[in-house]
Parts: sequence; C-alpha cells; structure tokens
Amino acid sequence: MLLAGLILAVAALADPWRADGAFWDFGNAMGFVALAGLIFQMIPAPRGQARPHERLGYWVLGVTLLHAFWFLAGDAAARFYLLPGGPLHMWLGLAAVLLLAGLSILARMPDRLRLHPSYRHFRKLHRYLALACLAAALLHVLLSGFYLPHGWQGAGLVALALICAFGRLRPQVAAVPAYLMAGGATAALFVLIREVAL
Amino acid sequence: MKWALAALFMVGVVLVVAGLPMGQPQPDRAARFGGGVRVLPMTFSHSSHFGKPCATCHHEFADRTIGPTCMTCHVTDHRVAPLLAAQFHTLCQSCHLDESAAGRPSGPTRRCIACHLDDQAF
Repeated sequence: MLLAGLILAVAALADPWRADGAFWDFGNAMGFVALAGLIFQMIPAPRGQARPHERLGYWVLGVTLLHAFWFLAGDAAARFYLLPGGPLHMWLGLAAVLLLAGLSILARMPDRLRLHPSYRHFRKLHRYLALACLAAALLHVLLSGFYLPHGWQGAGLVALALICAFGRLRPQVAAVPAYLMAGGATAALFVLIREVAL
Repeated sequence: MKWALAALFMVGVVLVVAGLPMGQPQPDRAARFGGGVRVLPMTFSHSSHFGKPCATCHHEFADRTIGPTCMTCHVTDHRVAPLLAAQFHTLCQSCHLDESAAGRPSGPTRRCIACHLDDQAF
C-alpha cells in the first residue's frame, strides 16, 4: 500500500499541464516510477527479508534503464545532453543510473561476500551509495525544472525522500507485483491526464 | 548480471556518441549561423509565430542595435555565445509552456528533436 501510494504521490507532484506528447510523457513517467521505487527502497527491510528488497532493486534499475534508453533511442537529439557541454542535471541523471547499477552489482551474492566479508560494513556502504544515488536522482529531477517548476513541488519531493530515508518508518517488505501494477497504472494515468484530459 | 549491465552501458555509450543507427533524421552539432561555435540546427518558422510581439524575441528592436541577424550575434559574441542553449531554451520554452498551460496550440515544449532539425529557414 505504501509503495503504491508513494508512486502516486511522486507522480502527482508533477504539473499536470506540463506535457509534450505521449512519447515524452511516458518516458518521464517511467522516470518518476523509478524514483518512487528508489525512495521506497530507502525504508529499511524487516530482518530476514533482504531478498524482496534485492528483487525490487533489480526492477527499479530496469525501469531506470528503460527511462534512459527510451529517450536515447526515441529522440535523436537527446544524446547531445550527455555529451560534453550537456547540462548538469543530465550528468546527475547519468550518475544516478551508474550508482544504482553499482548498488545492484555490489550487493549481489557471491560478489558481495568477496568484497565485504563483514555484513555491517556492506550495509553501511550500501546505505551511503544509496543516499548518493537518491541525491543525484532528486537533483536530476529538480534541476531539469520541467515537471516540477515550483518550489513547493520540489520541497514535497525532497520531504518524501527524507521521510523514507531518515524517518523512523515501520520496516517494509518490498513487493515486485505491487510495484509493477502501481507503476504501470500511474504511468498510464500520467500520460492520459496530459494527452486526453487536459 | 554485471556483464549484461556492462553490455547495456556500451550500447548506451554508442548511442550517445554515434547516435541512432537508423529510423530518424540525425541532427549534427556544427558551426552554423556564421559563428565558430558548434551548435545544433534549429527549426523555426516566423509564419507560425505571427501574432506575437516582435520585440519578445528581437530585443535589438528595443535596444536599437539593429545589425546582423540575431543568431549571428548569439554565436559570435563571446559574452553571449556560451549562454546560447540556456538563453534560447528559456526564451522559446517558457512561451511554449505558457501557451500549453493556457490550453492553446503551443508547439513543442520539451521534445529535443522537435526543434533541433535543420529547416534551412531560421
């Protein structure tokens, strides 16, 4: 429930009349779904429930990659944003993708045990990398300034992220089916509101 | 998984550096508009912007600095050339967004390729 609510809340912060066609809006809806998944993953998992967290992590990475490749493969001019001279928010987006990929690879068994014999050490590093990834992703969204042009929207997004990352929330079991269903429904709603309703 | 991600990363690098292999017209960054700065092509038609006050974009009308075409100055003047992308994105996009928010035909608001193709008419 919290995961679905979080996805809806993150997407609902975006200006509904900011749009540029179904292609662009769907690609960015994927970005919001990925960001919501990343924010949810900051809530600690219950003891002994690391596998669902890991599985959801792969899906969050998959949706993030879909968001990135959607634009690269569908808009021939988008690639110039990732070449020298590109804006800071795009470099931050790239950093977030690379950090997320690193988080997933470094946490995967048996590589994790090779790199971090101590679980405490792994958990600490995983947390710091995740915070860096979340910060880069938030700045990517906020500095691009397209869907969230007003300060209150940015503040709302940052508040959601801070509550999930540092608030004393009840540990949550990550659920992939809930993420995919809520994410798909939110993405469809995100596009339909912009292309049909407004 | 790490090899799959590494392969995807390489595909991404190729897409960024070389562009799409097929399917879409490819814009290129080159010296344009009489300047040495390598810029993307731009699509613009005056006819679709009739009804807007000229001085909204043509600040030289108000500054009384009429001379070469606007783009010539924006790609040759070392004070403004580095700001070209930011200035033009802000100028064009803010107006298009206002029109879109008002429910009027707005033209593109965000999609890169919608503006960055050469129509030889800018």
